[in-house]
Amino acid sequence: MAWETVIGIETHVQLSTKTKLFSRASTEFGKSPNTNVNLIDCGLPGVLPSVNKEAFYKAIRFGLAVGAKINQTSIFDRKNYFYADLPKGYQITQMDLPIVLGGTIDIETDKGIKTINITRAHLEEDAGKSIHDQFDGYSAIDLNRAGTPLLEIVSEPEISNAKEAVAYMKAMHQLVTYLDVSDGNMSQGSLRCDANVSVRKEGDPELGTRTEIKNINSFRFVEKAINFEVKRQIKQLENGETVTQETRLYDSVKDETRPMRSKEFANDYRYFPEPDLLPVVISDKEMQDIKDSFPELAKEKEKRFAKDFGLSEYDAQILASSKIMADFFERSAKETKNYALLANWLIGEISAFLNKDAIEINQSKLTPSNLAMLINRIDDQTISGKIGKSIFEEMYESGSSPDKIIESQGLEQISDDGAIEAIISTIIQDNPSQVEAYLGGKEKLFGFFVGQVMKITEGKANPQSVNTILKEKLK
Amino acid sequence: MSIQFKTIRELREMLDEKAISSEELTNETHKLAEDLKYLNCFVTMNKDASIEKSKLIDQADNNKSVLSGIPLAQKDLFCTEGLRTTCSSKILSNFIPPYTATAVLKLESAGSITIGKTNMDEFAMGSSNETSYFGNVHNPWKKGYVPGGSSGGSAAAVAAGIVPAATGTDTGGSIRQPAAHCGITGIKPTYGRVSRWGMIAFASSLDQAGPLARSAEDCAILLNEMSGYDSKDTTSLDIESTDLLHTINQPIKGLKIGIVKEFSLGDLDSEVQNRFEDSKKLYETLGAEFVEISLPNISASVPTYYSIAPAECSSNLSRFDGVRFGYRADNTGDLNDLYIKSRSEGFGDEVKRRILIGTYALSAGYYDAYYKKAQQVRRLIKNDFELAFETIDLIMTPTSPGTAFAFGSKGAQNPIELYLEDLFTISSNLAGLPAISIPHGKVNSMPAGLQLIGNFLREDQILNAAHIFQQNSAFHFDKPSMEEF
Amino acid sequence: MDQETVRTICYLARLQIDEDKAQKIESDLETIIEMIGGLQAFDTENIQPLYSPLEKTAFMHEDIENSDNQKEKFLQNAAASNEDYFLVPRVVE
Repeated sequence: MAWETVIGIETHVQLSTKTKLFSRASTEFGKSPNTNVNLIDCGLPGVLPSVNKEAFYKAIRFGLAVGAKINQTSIFDRKNYFYADLPKGYQITQMDLPIVLGGTIDIETDKGIKTINITRAHLEEDAGKSIHDQFDGYSAIDLNRAGTPLLEIVSEPEISNAKEAVAYMKAMHQLVTYLDVSDGNMSQGSLRCDANVSVRKEGDPELGTRTEIKNINSFRFVEKAINFEVKRQIKQLENGETVTQETRLYDSVKDETRPMRSKEFANDYRYFPEPDLLPVVISDKEMQDIKDSFPELAKEKEKRFAKDFGLSEYDAQILASSKIMADFFERSAKETKNYALLANWLIGEISAFLNKDAIEINQSKLTPSNLAMLINRIDDQTISGKIGKSIFEEMYESGSSPDKIIESQGLEQISDDGAIEAIISTIIQDNPSQVEAYLGGKEKLFGFFVGQVMKITEGKANPQSVNTILKEKLK
Repeated sequence: MSIQFKTIRELREMLDEKAISSEELTNETHKLAEDLKYLNCFVTMNKDASIEKSKLIDQADNNKSVLSGIPLAQKDLFCTEGLRTTCSSKILSNFIPPYTATAVLKLESAGSITIGKTNMDEFAMGSSNETSYFGNVHNPWKKGYVPGGSSGGSAAAVAAGIVPAATGTDTGGSIRQPAAHCGITGIKPTYGRVSRWGMIAFASSLDQAGPLARSAEDCAILLNEMSGYDSKDTTSLDIESTDLLHTINQPIKGLKIGIVKEFSLGDLDSEVQNRFEDSKKLYETLGAEFVEISLPNISASVPTYYSIAPAECSSNLSRFDGVRFGYRADNTGDLNDLYIKSRSEGFGDEVKRRILIGTYALSAGYYDAYYKKAQQVRRLIKNDFELAFETIDLIMTPTSPGTAFAFGSKGAQNPIELYLEDLFTISSNLAGLPAISIPHGKVNSMPAGLQLIGNFLREDQILNAAHIFQQNSAFHFDKPSMEEF
Repeated sequence: MDQETVRTICYLARLQIDEDKAQKIESDLETIIEMIGGLQAFDTENIQPLYSPLEKTAFMHEDIENSDNQKEKFLQNAAASNEDYFLVPRVVE
């Protein structure tokens, strides 16, 4: 029996505004609990919301980038339910008249580009955080996050497998970071994925019962969670059981999904228009201003990198695929001219280190200046590429600048021909049998002599000079 | 020198002439409140802070504004920083707000002194002040009779002469009806005129704050200070403020007053009708002209209001969940149990009734038939008013079909009985129009009120008409004997 | 109004009606619902609902921080809290 998977994804994007959607409390991450909380966010009696225009501008930018229709008049609605981290007992969201309607996102699949349609995107406020396991017998509520602006983006159920879902989330991540709409950080919760998964027999026009999987906080887990859920549903159906429509949590430790307790009872949210907020109208001028200040997107940046920095298409594409990396490259490129070498380092050695630690380059101790300096020192032969690698490791660990490291560890390349010649003479004198063997035809022994020079100079001898002088002397 | 029953103007004169100091006035007011505590007007007194402020006012040399040193009572629905705010509910019986409502802040900044927080119907839901957690308020005109609601405490405090004025809130008539039942003046401004920041929400699209006082002039003084755009309430109107006293003395010759055909005044109690006719005659002698008008959908007011207000309140009251403030029940199991027990023990029956009606009206399958339908009929009612105001300047009605009644004598069997008390007042909340109630005589020896409804933003016009009436009559000078208290 | 509906509405509102009051409250609810049902008699075809008396649109504020946080006071108002958090009975997801 062949099964088909149908997936729709709801993405919650935390907008990178400085303040919340309905209050002017800061949205800064990582603050001490319950300090980024204004009267409004606490849901105290008598408080009233007020709309943050930047949140709308970011939402519109997203809408324009995906080719959606922007509802210049949109309204807010209340979604009523009880939960400890929902201070007012309702969430202010957009139901009937959301800010964005329609649009598309292209994803790369192994069968080529696939276009996923977006149903809608709307603004809503985030809830606070509950901590269930820190205080004995209690759950602790931190309202710092309550009221943060979210853009909920709903895709059509057109995603066919876990890999496509990951591609979709990655495309979403690139888009929102490029648009400066969000920092798109899945592990910190600024990019969240809820997957609606159902299966059906191949060819069956009816959609199967779907489950909603929540709490997926990395691209890797998106793939695992969906794969697990698909298997689970297929198994149930093959056993003659039915799939229950429910919300499930993904447990990354056990690599399984399980039903979410608090969503056991079907909730009637009793949506109605928010009486404390009047309809929001975005003027034509505001729309034009948003269009005029549109940031450069990935594809444009790719082309510009290839043209302005003479990079290969491949290198340009890799660098441009991440806004953070691209920005780092550009800042570094202000202080060095060897763009190809710079790109090489970023794409190769540096990315490897970053991936190992699962961090972004702007979360590391590297700075664009320091990297430029390293490139320049290699370029001007102060150090060899090989020494450069160990200097880089030190830079990555300590955040120190290459010049400081070179100085403190005396790593300057020895390029003085005289000094090298002297060392080579000594080696030749001390290794007569090898010299004889080499001159007798064992050309591979050349490496031995090079190695000896490097050993004595602790790797600091300029390799080109060594090669040239050694060839001279070994005639 | 007795301060009881004095108006703002009279107290201002006493203060300016140094016949009494602000501190003495404040102390006297507290003494009066204490002497008359049987009325049960107040939930919390602000003794120490008010006396402190009065001392500072006495010390200050600068020109005193009209409200400087004037004692006011604030309805216990307004958040007052550091001073308990309960909405006359058990669920907030220990709530100390960390901020003050804009309307109160403005009055305090103008120099007024907050004497205490007045009793009310729980969460403003009621027309008789019989649903308060802190007990009924007595009508100063007759012991054991209701003062009206929900601003019963404020109305009684003014009617008994304890304070010259007080703040109230009006969602379906809660300023005007108690003003009428207590023989004083009260005005509900245009929706959006006064900021709702800090006003604990009952029905967001209907609530408005306003003053109760001994005269239209005193109401104008307070409303001048209370009004104004507040960026913290984006439903407040960003318009130029006008001095309501400036035009209050205008002659009203040629003023066109509408009588609503559909209100069938002929079906009312004959004494109520007589008072109404008398007032009509007085206005005619003052130069006003009466026109019969039609508001074809006006009979929908009560069902429309009782679909919308409970719906909005059911949502507004969800924040009272025992988690971050307010009453939390003991011995609760899980979180849901905490919600259910805290809310069930913390709310009174009328509040629960309205939350349940509201929840029903919003629920899936019923939303279109009740909530949405009501908001559509609301537009019909508003349109009727707009049309009518093309031919008239204001509308006149009795404030209430009846007068104050004995505790427990209405609504116990059938809640709708009490809802019908709001028959004449409700529609102006639905349409957002300003309306004032002034005393215009007695019906069966209890005060009766006359209501004037104005066009959008025309508080000036209804205050003017009310003031001219009061310049030519003495009903607002009537005082209860207070012997029983 | 059937029992099931009453139960559901009570649960949605997190309210429990005492046994001895249940009858009265249910009959009150029925009376009120019947009264508001009278709206069906009014013709509202093509009429836009009026959600607010103001024919006005929202004022939006700038994205500039303005904190009025009073952490201690907020936490103090709660029936159960510690120096950092509001506390509720432990929730199991």
